[in-house]
Amino acid sequence: MGERSMDTMVRALTIRKKSWYNKNTVGLEVYAPRIDPQPGQFFQLRVSDGVDPFLNRPISVASYTGGKLLFIVKVVGRGTDLLSKKQVGEKLTMLGPFGTPITARRKKSLIIAGGIGVAPLYFLAQKLNARGASCTFLYGAKRPEDIILKGHIRRVAHRTLFVTEYGSKRRMTAVQAVHGLKMDNYEVAYTCGPRPMLIELQQLHLPIPVYAFCEDFLGCGCGLCLGCAISYKGTYKRICVDGPVFELSGIDFNA
Amino acid sequence: MPRLFNVSFKNPVFLASGVFGFGLKYKRVTNSVGAFFTKGVTLRPQSGNPPPRIYETASGIINWVGLENPGVEVFCTHVLPQLKKLRTKIFVNVAGSYPGDYERIIRTIGNEVDGFELNISCPNVEKGGAAFGQDTRVAASVVKRARKCTARPLVVKLTPNFCDPREIARACVDAGADGISLINTVYALAYDVHKKQLLIRGGLSGPAIKPIALFCVDRIRDCGVPIIGMGGIMSGRDAYEFLLAGASAVAIGSAVLRDPYAPLRIINELKTLMGKDAGKKM
Repeated sequence: MGERSMDTMVRALTIRKKSWYNKNTVGLEVYAPRIDPQPGQFFQLRVSDGVDPFLNRPISVASYTGGKLLFIVKVVGRGTDLLSKKQVGEKLTMLGPFGTPITARRKKSLIIAGGIGVAPLYFLAQKLNARGASCTFLYGAKRPEDIILKGHIRRVAHRTLFVTEYGSKRRMTAVQAVHGLKMDNYEVAYTCGPRPMLIELQQLHLPIPVYAFCEDFLGCGCGLCLGCAISYKGTYKRICVDGPVFELSGIDFNA
Repeated sequence: MPRLFNVSFKNPVFLASGVFGFGLKYKRVTNSVGAFFTKGVTLRPQSGNPPPRIYETASGIINWVGLENPGVEVFCTHVLPQLKKLRTKIFVNVAGSYPGDYERIIRTIGNEVDGFELNISCPNVEKGGAAFGQDTRVAASVVKRARKCTARPLVVKLTPNFCDPREIARACVDAGADGISLINTVYALAYDVHKKQLLIRGGLSGPAIKPIALFCVDRIRDCGVPIIGMGGIMSGRDAYEFLLAGASAVAIGSAVLRDPYAPLRIINELKTLMGKDAGKKM
């Protein structure tokens, strides 16, 4: 996993399209030809022109087709709330792409998404589909209305499974749904979701390699500040440049 | 060309220790600033503190990184050769757990760099750090011992926490310091209200601390050696305020977390503000 030696540009791009998926999740699309981000990568989005909130927000790439770069932002605090209030025609200032990309290999893949963790995994699923890899997309959320991109996911995954904890017939979490799957059918798994979900999934000790897309507060996003440490295989790694994708079994969530 | 402690700098805007690692990324930025202050180097490798290491607060961030670095030996073999290729003045930030550490680190690095910054103000380590910088006697003894090891410029980085910077600065200058840099981060903490537990304890930086930093710089303006002022500088205007408070140069810290190219903009803004006197001001 090499670090990008090239300087990363600061871009201010016009928001071309904005769509609300539910009451607190919004998609912002900009046109950014020639960036070609890969699964696992993210951008640092400028929240405010002033100094409060101070830091940029790391938002992963949800889709990139024909130069159209899509970010999906879930409002969880002041920073993401400000991002969600940006309108079509306004500029979105961003740095990136950051993060070590992962290769979408042509393997029988299982994707396990939890909540807003669906965004980077949807991008991965598109790449897997383009490669001709078979992919099962398991997606868990709190309530049915929290499930987004359902139709889009169905178009790129060979098998889909949507589960919610409340308000549906199949009340279960994504991890509980994993129990019902036959692991012999898969060669590799990718996951992204809230930390408790990743911890539960780690405890399942699945017989295939599981790659986790990690999220955290980031400082610079480009490996300089050492603020986003994660304990991985006995040493501290930086989520922003050494990751954000790590093999789940190697992560020590207690450190 | 500004000249401080017998060294010429291409401009009075420096990169503060900690936020830009060892300066090997964004070289366009490192090569443009007057001087680059490295991440703190300790005698032995330090793995740093467990996460969470940063937390955003109003107009600032609290960090609890804990001097993660590969130690002086790896620094000399792997980092220094690359640092020497940069087209800026290199100051190594030296951090010790014991007073003797500073001497050993400086001797190991020798004359390979343009100067040293003695970090007696890190709030995030158990031993040494800010504890050394809050006591005039300890601060003076660290500086005196370091002074014996090098003829290179010796800048001492002060803490704003629980002490009078004027007293500490005086003690450091008497002990042989060539310059004073301040401020390091301000002691701070934050709680998680839902879990009813401490979220982070560390050092606050960013625009939130600029007024405190200006006060501290002004407080030591008559210390007799050049002052490098820092704390929440986001613009040329901010930088100019520090010069007005008595600093001869400024250093950019947290601003690069938002935008790694911020120093380039600040250099230009300051140049415009200072007009033709840009160099003479020093």
